[in-house]
Amino acid sequence: MNSLFNKIIAVFAVSASALWATVDPEMEGMDVVSRDDGTFLIGSPTYYFDRKLGSGGINSESELWTPRKLRYRLLFNRMSVLPSWDPIQAPSVWMKTGNELGDLIYQDFITDVGNRPTNRTPILEVGVRTPLFHGFWATFRLFQDDHYCFYSGDKYRSKVVDDNFAFFGENWPMFSSAYGGLGYTNDFINASLLAGMEYIWLFTESSRWIPVRYKPRVEARADVGDFSATLVFENAEFQNFKKKETGERKEVNGSVVYNCGENCKRGMLQLSAGLAFRFVNDDGTVYTGLENDRVLWPFLEMRFKPMDQLKFDVVFGVNDRDWLVQDSVEYQLPVLEKMNVTFGAKNISGTRLNPIADTHEYFDGDTISLTASGRMNLLQGYIRFEDSLTNFLGFGLRGSFWAEHGAETFDVEKFVDDGIYTFRHGDVGRINSWIKGVTGEFWLKLWYKEMLNFTALTGFERIDGKEKRFEVNPSEFFVSFSADWLIKKTFRISHSLRYRSDAEWNLRSRDPYVVKGDWYWDATFEQRFPKWGLSLAGTIVQALGDEVIEIPNGDFSRLRFFCTAKKAF
Amino acid sequence: MKKIITILAFCLASILHAVEDPLAFRNDSALVAEDVSFSHFSVFLEGGEIYPMGDLMDAVKNALYGGVGIHYTYWKDVDGVVMFQYTYFKPRPKIYYDGVHQFMGRVGADWKWKAIHPVVLGGGFTCSWTRADADEINYAKPGGTLTDNETEFGWYARISLPVFKYKEYSAGFHVMWEQLWTLPKSSNMLYAGLTFERSIW
Repeated sequence: MNSLFNKIIAVFAVSASALWATVDPEMEGMDVVSRDDGTFLIGSPTYYFDRKLGSGGINSESELWTPRKLRYRLLFNRMSVLPSWDPIQAPSVWMKTGNELGDLIYQDFITDVGNRPTNRTPILEVGVRTPLFHGFWATFRLFQDDHYCFYSGDKYRSKVVDDNFAFFGENWPMFSSAYGGLGYTNDFINASLLAGMEYIWLFTESSRWIPVRYKPRVEARADVGDFSATLVFENAEFQNFKKKETGERKEVNGSVVYNCGENCKRGMLQLSAGLAFRFVNDDGTVYTGLENDRVLWPFLEMRFKPMDQLKFDVVFGVNDRDWLVQDSVEYQLPVLEKMNVTFGAKNISGTRLNPIADTHEYFDGDTISLTASGRMNLLQGYIRFEDSLTNFLGFGLRGSFWAEHGAETFDVEKFVDDGIYTFRHGDVGRINSWIKGVTGEFWLKLWYKEMLNFTALTGFERIDGKEKRFEVNPSEFFVSFSADWLIKKTFRISHSLRYRSDAEWNLRSRDPYVVKGDWYWDATFEQRFPKWGLSLAGTIVQALGDEVIEIPNGDFSRLRFFCTAKKAF
Repeated sequence: MKKIITILAFCLASILHAVEDPLAFRNDSALVAEDVSFSHFSVFLEGGEIYPMGDLMDAVKNALYGGVGIHYTYWKDVDGVVMFQYTYFKPRPKIYYDGVHQFMGRVGADWKWKAIHPVVLGGGFTCSWTRADADEINYAKPGGTLTDNETEFGWYARISLPVFKYKEYSAGFHVMWEQLWTLPKSSNMLYAGLTFERSIW
């Protein structure tokens, strides 16, 4: 029995090590830039397509609502970590700054004015969280990411707003956020109240970037025992300076949830339940709409685990407009325990991937419906095994078959051009035929004490069906090599070298937009000072690959470097 | 079973980023006990001349530089380095202003490899902030991009040769190669100069 435990521990330790082998993201929630396990296309910090190969279906992860994302930000119809209002947990002070590489500096003197490269743009973050004082703490954070912004800012977006639309600079960044607040933490309660202001550009189904100024945004959170509550007030100001349009949305949203606690998790049946809600009041020109100005979304999470090797998981939500079920079953074969062979199946069915999002977009006299009649069904079966060959080498593979009917898509009626952008009219619709896919992934892991964790990972996917033009045809192949080195336990090098094959956007431009396959290399170098609770890190992102626009109407994904300093109190 | 639950919980927590603490290493008491960082600390002044290399020779003239820095123990035979320097570059082509202020910040490490003592090898990242010495902002003219603040990162490699030591003082030469990741081409410069250092503890 001990050997079984050791084996399982070894496998999970290896799995966990893969999570540590990560390049620092430039902002919380931008981990997708350095993801190497599927199709990850970034148009801006506030809009990306993120689909893990093998996840099944044709939609991206951020389009799907799950209870795990209750405290994510709703950016139009996607759930996003960024701009994160999660208070940093460690009492500390931190600063981050960086820039896209490739400014001219003295090359200006020997370069014709007409041949100048586009301006390169920075990121900035500063923040502090105080130590506890009788359980109370305070925090402040200012963060702004000017990457993926200059070309479209200069050519188009600057004309849509009446100012720089940021706390700093004149690059028209895709978001700029600042907040401060107080909290209280003890063994039983963790509560916070934050208030701030935010500039953000939301990417919509019409392919427009809509500027929204949250002035103010207030977020209160309380975790008391097994209960969590979140309440947010947003005064969102909309504008189109070019068209002399202004509008305002007052919104209250949040959630109340009972989480299955420690005692509950020991049981055979584990239940969590909650309610997510949004109430809006629109005035003037607001470019999106929510039917009945409200959405109430009660949901239930259940895990049934009759034995160690077998578990059923269900997430179910329903209201007067939509329903969504996400369920799965997983069984680990006891007869092949040394190989950790797992069979699993999952199903996602529902009327809408994100039932709490707005229901309409308004665009030049057209009302774009963001809901489609009927429902989608995604079924997937998979087999996975993982084994450690020795105490420093492990490998695994996962194969799956999936089929989806009624996949959400966009029925384009027509395209219109405006400056550098192409917009689209139409409605969210469904692909009412079966789309089928087969996937395979193989990984090899190598580790040595705490010093090295290395993963080589490759995957392929073949998608077939009557309809072949989805919003995004994902990459069919990837290979990646990532490693975490921890030298003398105080110097970390994390890096990821990877290749992704072509991906294709079909519905946001008249002709398909191919994002060519390419190699990428990202790396983080970190000095750690345990005695002083100090960390100094430098990260280079998007090296090797060509600098391209990865999403129609998006902006260039450029090679960039940033450094981070963090000091614990 | 407790171990499995703990590891599973850790995996889940890592996935959710719920309790991620990038400074968690400070809680490892054994690691803290082994940490020799900042056991020695010194400050230095240095100055010398910068020689533009390659295409950059057509862009700017040689320039003098000066600045301050600190050395601190990182590992037993490796010092961490932080430098701040200033220089003033004059353009070679005819530009409508006299020159450009440049501030450099560097973070890196110096390896005191015993085999080549007293030569010290160093390297790290550099960040240069520039602003033209111009009253008029004219982006369209040659040199115009520098009338706004411009910043660029790069890397450096360096050889130091401390030839003189007396009590807590030392002095020596250094040669440094620096590359800024500019476009359309990278900008390379060679630094050569003198360093005066005083150990604080």
